[in-house]
Amino acid sequence: MARLILHRLGAVIPVLLLVTVGVFTLLHLTPGDPIDAMMAESVDATVKETLRRDLGLDQPIGVQYARWMGRLLRGDLGRSIRNGEPVLENVGRRIRPSLQLAAFAMAISLLVAFPVGIVAAVRRNTSADRVATTFALFGICMPNFLLALLLIFVFGVTLRWLPISGYTDPLEEPLLGLRSLALPAITLGLALAAVITRTLRSSLLEALAEDYVRTARAKGLSEWMVIRAHVLKNALIPVVTVMGLQLGTLIGGAVITEYVFALPGVGRLVVDAVFARDYPTVQGVVLLIAIGFIVSNLMVDLLYGWIDPRIRHH
Amino acid sequence: MAGSIPASVTTDAITPAAAPVRDRRWEVLRRAVRARLAPFGAAVVMAAVLVALAAPVVAPYDPLKQDLAHALAAPSRGHLLGTDNVGRDVLSRVIWGTRISLVAGVVSVAIALLTGSLLGVVAGFCGGRVDGVVMRLMDAVLSFPPLVLALALGAVLGAGLTGVLIALGVVYTPTFARLMRGQVLTIKAREYVDAARALGAPGWRVAWHHVLPNATAPIVVQASLSVAFAILAEASLSFLGLGIQPPAASWGSMINAGRGYLQSAPWIVFGPGVALFVTVVGLNFVGDAIRDALDPRLRG
Repeated sequence: MARLILHRLGAVIPVLLLVTVGVFTLLHLTPGDPIDAMMAESVDATVKETLRRDLGLDQPIGVQYARWMGRLLRGDLGRSIRNGEPVLENVGRRIRPSLQLAAFAMAISLLVAFPVGIVAAVRRNTSADRVATTFALFGICMPNFLLALLLIFVFGVTLRWLPISGYTDPLEEPLLGLRSLALPAITLGLALAAVITRTLRSSLLEALAEDYVRTARAKGLSEWMVIRAHVLKNALIPVVTVMGLQLGTLIGGAVITEYVFALPGVGRLVVDAVFARDYPTVQGVVLLIAIGFIVSNLMVDLLYGWIDPRIRHH
Repeated sequence: MAGSIPASVTTDAITPAAAPVRDRRWEVLRRAVRARLAPFGAAVVMAAVLVALAAPVVAPYDPLKQDLAHALAAPSRGHLLGTDNVGRDVLSRVIWGTRISLVAGVVSVAIALLTGSLLGVVAGFCGGRVDGVVMRLMDAVLSFPPLVLALALGAVLGAGLTGVLIALGVVYTPTFARLMRGQVLTIKAREYVDAARALGAPGWRVAWHHVLPNATAPIVVQASLSVAFAILAEASLSFLGLGIQPPAASWGSMINAGRGYLQSAPWIVFGPGVALFVTVVGLNFVGDAIRDALDPRLRG
């Protein structure tokens, strides 16, 4: 396992370096002068020059990158041009709602996907299977923002059961907090559940056709024991792969969900920074999200080794 | 001499699938049409294409014309999908929005397909350092969540259709590059490629005449499935305000504009919403059918 970890870490380092180059280059992709893009035309020229100096844009590009990397390695992601607040502090304040939303959504998706996927595979070609596959198709094709608005319309506007915007920390006010996160988490969780259901169904069907399943049934095991002890673990690898691949979609979905439900999370911070043309904040947050995404994928890779010992030994 | 090898001779004589290409294409088409949900998907896609092409003819009103006297009018005979907050006909805007959505979906995937395939062929064919550099670059692009990368690129390139097309093109490029590289590596090891090389064909000729034609199936499958997701991505960016800018009619921006009127005029949201959902479902059915027809092993 240690060798697997070292191997994967070795592969991640050059990619991380390229990611920093990509994020650094973002500012320089702006058509024209990035300072003009960030500040209104009416802003005084000396203020613009001060910002140019602060951001190091008056230096050659190689020097700019070296300085930016130096600051990065010291944990300095820059400062917002709107309020001068360090980006890392801003992210630190907003990470909690985002993590709570992601965890809640992931829990909903697993709670929905596993029973639905298992029933669809075990009762293949029945009406239960058709309902499950239709649900999966619906979830995959439905844009997050549309599902969010549909849920707001039904549960917020028409039935008035749940709040349609705002955030209460579930760690401080558990009931109110869960209510405030319910609709965003259902929005995000159902889309993920659809993808997991589809993958779980097809990998279960594949595993159910294996010889060892016939042997297990011949031994007289109940169908539930066959699924639980023999089929499920062997069907998990594609599901874990898809969950890893869906992390990106989950983060993207979180950006939209936080925007629609006015949650003060990291996704909302990116959108606000993009609108304010606050490029240092955009750079800092995008870099942090990319690093988080890479680390999550690394953990998914290592999870393979835990689920399937054959991967560890290769 | 490289130039002395007629392509037709090498292809016909050495390619394993010696059946006439035209016959194979018909077989693929026959299999695609036979897929259960393909006819519905094809009908939806054809309808969307026709509506997009004939938008000036089929739209009952000017999509930009405001009529404040009839603002927020409910669906009626005069306005089948009602009107928005400034009295514009929602149906006409949905029809014009079809054009933008299809253009965004097809063009961004075409950009990704061309760039990604080229990079994949170069990486797979050259191998060594070139392969390493190209694939690490692709890994780096894949390290960003797609929507976040599109958002960041959209932010620096500026809102509008061009920015969206470039941003989505970049986001989808690594998928095609990886797929093409994998195909090239597999096909490069085949005997007919060795034979073409032994006959003296230069690298570009081997790549163009022997590798590329045999590597297209998974690329076509991926492209057909990607268009649906590119349309969703464009709608998401426009919804966030970074895609097509109002007053131009785009499904995403229409839904965003209508969300403030969800209680009083839900049709502003649900008209473009249904159009977007049905189009994406149709494209998915067509993509699935193409996948099943070209490579039944990929069936989920």
